[in-house]
Amino acid sequence: MKKHAITLTVNGEDRDLVVSSNRTLLDALRDDLGFTDTKYGCGTGECGACTVLVDGTTAINGCLTLAATMNGKSITTAAGLARSGNLHPVQQAFIDNDAIQCGFCTPGMVLKTISLLDENPKPTEAEIRHGLEGNICRCTGYTKIVEAVQDASRRMSGAGE
Amino acid sequence: MNDLTIVGKRVERVDVRAKVTGGALYAADVQMAGMLYGKIVRCYDYAHARVIKLDLSKAAKCKGVVRVLGPNDVTKKEYNASVLDMMVSADMRGVLGDIDDQNIFTDHVKHYGDAIAAVIATSEEAAERAAEKIIVTCEELPVYMTAEASKHPDAMQFRPEKPGNLAFQLPEMAFPNNTYAWGEVDDSFKEADIIVEDVFYVSKQKQCQMEPGAYIALYDDQERLNCWTSTQMPKLVQKKLANLFELPMTRVRINATVIGGGFGARLGMVLEPETCALAMAVPGRPVKVLSTREEDWVTSPSRHPGKYWMKMGFKKDGTPVACDAKFENYKGAYYVDASGTAFTTGAWLGGMYKFESLRYRGESYYTNQSICGAFRGYGNPQTNFVMEQLVDRACDKLGMDPIAWRKKWHKTVGDDGWCMGVPYNSCALDECLDRAAEAIGWTEKREKYKNQTGVKRRGIGVAVMNHTSGAMPMLLEHTVCDVLLHQDATATINLACSDMGQGSHTTLRQVAAESLGFPYEDVYIATGNTDAAGFDIGAHASRTLYVGGGAVKQACEDVKRQLFERAALELDEDVNNLYMEDKIIHVKGASNKSISVLTIADQGVNNFMNPENGELIGQPGQIKGYASFFPPHNAPPFGASIAEVEVDMETGEVTVIELVNAHDVGRAIHPGIVEGQLDGGAQQGLGMALTEETYYDDKGICLNNSFTDYKMLGPSDMPKMTNILVENSDPTGPFGAKGVGEAGIVPPVGATANAIFNAIGIQILEAPITPEKILKALEKKGR
Repeated sequence: MKKHAITLTVNGEDRDLVVSSNRTLLDALRDDLGFTDTKYGCGTGECGACTVLVDGTTAINGCLTLAATMNGKSITTAAGLARSGNLHPVQQAFIDNDAIQCGFCTPGMVLKTISLLDENPKPTEAEIRHGLEGNICRCTGYTKIVEAVQDASRRMSGAGE
Repeated sequence: MNDLTIVGKRVERVDVRAKVTGGALYAADVQMAGMLYGKIVRCYDYAHARVIKLDLSKAAKCKGVVRVLGPNDVTKKEYNASVLDMMVSADMRGVLGDIDDQNIFTDHVKHYGDAIAAVIATSEEAAERAAEKIIVTCEELPVYMTAEASKHPDAMQFRPEKPGNLAFQLPEMAFPNNTYAWGEVDDSFKEADIIVEDVFYVSKQKQCQMEPGAYIALYDDQERLNCWTSTQMPKLVQKKLANLFELPMTRVRINATVIGGGFGARLGMVLEPETCALAMAVPGRPVKVLSTREEDWVTSPSRHPGKYWMKMGFKKDGTPVACDAKFENYKGAYYVDASGTAFTTGAWLGGMYKFESLRYRGESYYTNQSICGAFRGYGNPQTNFVMEQLVDRACDKLGMDPIAWRKKWHKTVGDDGWCMGVPYNSCALDECLDRAAEAIGWTEKREKYKNQTGVKRRGIGVAVMNHTSGAMPMLLEHTVCDVLLHQDATATINLACSDMGQGSHTTLRQVAAESLGFPYEDVYIATGNTDAAGFDIGAHASRTLYVGGGAVKQACEDVKRQLFERAALELDEDVNNLYMEDKIIHVKGASNKSISVLTIADQGVNNFMNPENGELIGQPGQIKGYASFFPPHNAPPFGASIAEVEVDMETGEVTVIELVNAHDVGRAIHPGIVEGQLDGGAQQGLGMALTEETYYDDKGICLNNSFTDYKMLGPSDMPKMTNILVENSDPTGPFGAKGVGEAGIVPPVGATANAIFNAIGIQILEAPITPEKILKALEKKGR
């Protein structure tokens, strides 16, 4: 298998690594770089537990992305969201709305929400639900997650204006 | 109890900061120096076959391979991955007939995905590549996917000690005529004016917890077997592994990692035996085994599917005279929870309505399906689908309102509960029904949806349920808790209770702080280490807050008692004349006489001697509270759901418009957590009613063991939901709380089915109620 020397900027820090052509971004992040906050839930792009952000705001499934294609890109995982000890408003909204139970979907769900709110800062409830279709949660029935996204939308638009 | 300061508050959950930043370590996230990776070789070509040749030689030569193991390279001791045998007395174990029938690796494949061999290698990829080089030659055997097939006289016998492939039926010794019964059912039916009867099918639902199975085991230099696992039951798994590998419990340690959802899939052992067997083969090296989603699907237990016959008789005035039922479940390839679910499915039935007579038979038949075991509700969703549809059919015939009938005839305080001989001690189901009906506009909508025509038809339906808080008296209920008071007057609560994500570590901390009279910040729940923690039966049967909370409360009260005794000595006062406020113990009516908890705690540890007079300062000894707690009851939660649906008569598609859940929760220790349990339970209950089923082809090959092919309701499929928490304090629960972990899944099942009945005038007898089944039923009715 061909090897590729690549550089990923993960949560603001440059990481050099050598990956096989078939190495997924998920495996590279988890096993090569230790970012275990990115979760394996299905490996087929159905559940979104491996969601990461590329270049700040684009949400992708780490399990469907080959690491070699991400050379030179900036990747954000849940571990890279807090700023000087303060959680990202989306993270805080998930906590404040009891939107976290087992937590396994949470990193992906939070990152997907950031991407969604970047595209559409004031989504309707239906738009939120549609936007989260690629992220499975088996604990919450999505109720409190939707409430958290609505809350985050309010907080972020309030802070930005 | 109006002076509660922490119980009842929406405090921040103990685990959410770590979970939202990704710092929480699930078993797959644990990394260790020198880690090896195990890959289990499974049979995906057949559901029933004899392995006639196993060639490990090519795999052994692959790059990075450390060991290759077949059935003869690991312990041949048979085991039962479930834990029911540890929850009943030795006598009862014999009566129930639980058997050990699983092997770590087998040469007789009994279901799609059965384990044959394994590879240990230096990387996951190397293990996977080598696993592909293992050559398995099989002789195909006939498959038996249903009870009807496997009970056929010509069918191959799964186990010699279980003739007719009948893994379990209610045992004669404990259940005369193999029935769970009261009254004379046959006589009672003679009094009936109306009889409703049908054969239903309930589906093989999968928990689909988000975290697939992941395990690490290490047989260390002290010859101790260590296992990192996100089990729901650390102490029972510790004992199970000790038995399997013939080690004393001191040499088996479970490190319980953060759990990414359980819902029953982690009840008992899953791949702990396989992983530990691999680790025993390479002493000193940690071995990690990661299940793929598809693998987790077929190796962890599912809900019990099967045929469920039921017949009910009523008098013209609605009096329920008789109920007769039989659940024949398609057990799966191994025994596991064959006895438990077959019983409880009938127990929930018996616990619901005041039938004059009732008779239930539960039978588990071996099949070539993947194993069935615990899944949230443990038989209750199955019973809800059947019982509640038949009740509504009867109400329809009787011309009675389904809510009014239920209010009149459900069991309540003083009636025998789900376990005969243990009467209900609290019940607020009437209030649940009234408030749910009001919230959704029941009366108006029932009227409005009569005589609809057109393509889209609305319907509204109700269902109720009873459940339990812990499995007493059928099963052992016991939790040990100790509380260590530190010299700075903070306290660590040590116990083995798991938090599967339901929030139990938060609610247990609330109970601890409230019981100690300390701020929430001053107590910490320590779990996860079976060396340190005393016994706990594990997270099942909606018991953790009820039984674990009872243990925490008692152990904290033990601390408080010791604090008061020492304060009484120091202050030279009667212990009954003291009270505590803000961690200061005062003498009633004497504002100048007090001593702080900090002083007592500090002096207990730092028991210095006064050098001038040689006297000790304060009372010596670090305070530790202890409880070995057995609950006095099972504090029954009750609940009602009302669902409104819209059915498309042309496509058969069902849209759930609204769902109202009203539950008697005793007391909501943390309302947000209770709501979360009801929300999540509803998603699973609606899924069981509408979409979730495991499909096999006629060779027994599973067709949908993936999120791609198994349909769960997504965010856009979920209806508008309202949860109503009815707080009717239970006399035995900690601060009045009842268990709520399973309740939420149950009544949405029957309510959805009944709403569809209300919309289209036909009952669909097989779960899930898919568009195909609706169209077929409409077509049949049209003809």
